[in-house]
Amino acid sequence: MSQAASEGAGAAAPPAAPALRRAATAAARTGVVLAKRALMLGVLLAVVFAAIELLPGDAASATSERGESAADTAARRHLLGLDRPVWERFGDWMTALPTGDLGTSARGERVTGLLAAPFPNTLLLGATAFALTFAAALALGCRAALHPGGTVDRIIGFTSGIALALPEFVVSVGLLLVLSLWTGWLPAVTLTAPDGSPASWTMLVMPVLALTVPQAGWNARIVRGALADQAGAPHVAAARLDGLSPRRVLLRHALPGAWPAIATGAATSTGMLLGGAVVVETLFNYPGLGTVLSGAVADRDTPVIAGVVACTGAVISLVLLCADLVRARTLGARP
Amino acid sequence: MNWTRRQALWAGGSIGAAALLTACGGGENDAASSPADSAGTPRKGGTLRIGALGRASATTRDPHGTQGNESDYLIIALVYDTLTAPGLKDNTVGRLASGWTPSGDLKTWRFTIAKGAAFHDGSPVTADDVVWSLRRLRNTPAGAARLPGIKAENITAGGKDTVVLVSDQPNAELPLLTRLSTFVLKKDTPDKEIAGAPGTGPFKLDWFRSGNARLLRNDKWHGGPVHLDAIEVTMFESPQAMANALLGGQIDVASNVGAVAARSAASRKDIQLVRRPNDMAMPVVMRAADGPFADVRVREAMKLVVDREAMVKQVLSGYGTVANDILGTGDPAYAKDIPQRSRDLAKAKKLLAEAKFDLSKTYELVTTEDVPGLAESATLFADQAREAGIKIKVVKQESGAFYEKTWLKGQLYTNYWGTNDSVVFFASKTMVTGAGQSEAGWSDPQFDAVYRKVIGTADKKARATALRELQQIEHDKSGYLLWGMADGIDLAGPKVRNLPKLPGYGRVQLENVWLTR
Repeated sequence: MSQAASEGAGAAAPPAAPALRRAATAAARTGVVLAKRALMLGVLLAVVFAAIELLPGDAASATSERGESAADTAARRHLLGLDRPVWERFGDWMTALPTGDLGTSARGERVTGLLAAPFPNTLLLGATAFALTFAAALALGCRAALHPGGTVDRIIGFTSGIALALPEFVVSVGLLLVLSLWTGWLPAVTLTAPDGSPASWTMLVMPVLALTVPQAGWNARIVRGALADQAGAPHVAAARLDGLSPRRVLLRHALPGAWPAIATGAATSTGMLLGGAVVVETLFNYPGLGTVLSGAVADRDTPVIAGVVACTGAVISLVLLCADLVRARTLGARP
Repeated sequence: MNWTRRQALWAGGSIGAAALLTACGGGENDAASSPADSAGTPRKGGTLRIGALGRASATTRDPHGTQGNESDYLIIALVYDTLTAPGLKDNTVGRLASGWTPSGDLKTWRFTIAKGAAFHDGSPVTADDVVWSLRRLRNTPAGAARLPGIKAENITAGGKDTVVLVSDQPNAELPLLTRLSTFVLKKDTPDKEIAGAPGTGPFKLDWFRSGNARLLRNDKWHGGPVHLDAIEVTMFESPQAMANALLGGQIDVASNVGAVAARSAASRKDIQLVRRPNDMAMPVVMRAADGPFADVRVREAMKLVVDREAMVKQVLSGYGTVANDILGTGDPAYAKDIPQRSRDLAKAKKLLAEAKFDLSKTYELVTTEDVPGLAESATLFADQAREAGIKIKVVKQESGAFYEKTWLKGQLYTNYWGTNDSVVFFASKTMVTGAGQSEAGWSDPQFDAVYRKVIGTADKKARATALRELQQIEHDKSGYLLWGMADGIDLAGPKVRNLPKLPGYGRVQLENVWLTR
């Protein structure tokens, strides 16, 4: 602000104007980024529509009952609008989207109704896993970077390497065996309460851990790498030569510069977390979007699949936007 | 319904997990009640927690809709009553109908509604309600297959508690057709209110959410006392997750969980394994109308090539029985006395030579992964056929494509039927000339004549003789190679008593189940 004021003193405009203008351009830039993300989401949904079109069979044949005649299936195909060109159906679906209408599933249920309970459940699962991933990665990455090349650094590097290589499926089965079937500490699967959410918080523990372990491994390496890059930077070297404690150098001088890389790594994890949720939710019977999606793909149920993609896509876009803003703030560059 | 097109998406994973679980199963202590309790007197009370397979995207609340989910069918079947139900001794027993009488020509059937039958809101069930419900069912896209031979306008009320069904042809087994999806709702229930519409079943809906539900006992059920206070249904996407929930004590019953999960639970003494024989047929269908399998000698050779014991052992993990190329194995009238066909490669080769079967060609066997074991059965059969010099290549097709391109048309494909329907049911649906689902395109005048005799004969003894003859012709000539029948498999915790042992849809009749303390 002081800088803005001194700049403004010599200009004809009132002193606060440049700051306002700058805020306005920042907002405009954010708007541009938002628009870009929205466009990307639109393209993604178009790809989804096209991809389902390319799969063999369609919703009418996939959800037909054995014994239905070809004429009945054709009638249902007409009813579902599947006899119209794919771009037309896509257009209809997209124009209804802003009003919050996600269309009707091949079995005649409202898609918004189908996703009403599972989406918040997946968000809860994903957000918890994300927070845990972020905290664990930051703690491990910083601890490792404190004494580069030390024993702790090597152990963390090794275990995080293994963790990131483990598929969610393997982690899930391992957790299930140890925490549930052997020890009986945690319930093996998630049961649903009358309101559609998990019946107990204990049922969240294993799905969250199964998602967190691989992603925490991946992000810990990113944090460690970003801090290593920063260690060579002149201002960090200067701080070290000033005799500051390693901890202070790390947290106050190296970490701020590492934020963009860390934020980007964490943001990309969002997609991985939501993707991994498809597997994890099935294994633990967690009532989320993953279970809806896998069934919908089998049914060629385009509105349901597109609805799931729109929901998760919006979340991922939002997180990516946040990462962009972190980047812009730190580097002062155009977002 | 049982005809779900379940993708075997997680099959590989489940098998891996199952192996691990088997390894760790032995150490559990089982302080549960001893099996001797099973003979005890039923105790009233308790909540049965049952798991059933289903997919969140495919949930439906309409009793007359396409029930792709077992969980939905289970909930619907507990809340609503069908006119008749599957039985053990008699293939068809009464449910909402207390009795039925045919006319002399076996075309007109009068069903009497059970005394005291009432909806959950207290209003009595009238013939109008039944007529409205059956017509609604008949007018669904699959209605013609669900009530074959009965036009909607031929379903009428014949008084306050009598429903009259008139069939296009004589049909001695018409009540069998009303076992599966003839769920009765109140007349003129609007589509919008279907989800919460009162039924007449042994349980009433407390809540339903995303495929999961809680049901409460209907104290005034016309069918007699119900033991359980409540049933909680949890929907599971994968059989392995369902088995894990059972092993972990989170549910009491894993319904229709399959052989893989059964194996993984086999080492646990406190887990009851309920095998329901004759649950699913997985025949190989050979096109009899034209093509390489049109010659009856070729079809017989194929039936002689298969090693049935090996199929049951490997494809079904032993949870099944060898079959004799006749569909309807659960029918009390099934001809057990027709000698079992077994492997005879020499005879098969001789028949193939006589029929001048081209052994230089490779034949495609089309299959799907709709039900566990189906694709495996095709692969194993192809291996066995190779020993007789027949080259078979297995082609896996995606379910939708299979029903569009191969079913009813293909020359050699696998198929499955998941109900304990009668011999006549399969004959009328799939084998008699002009049948709606003539899967093998088989047409045999002698078979047709005997079939007409069977469905038009009211006299029990004469009918039994004709039925025996019908099965002999089917065994000798039809396009079905039925190597075995898969058991239906449920797993249950130690407290559960009196689970249904019936194949097919019998598994959803839980009104006699009770829990020990």
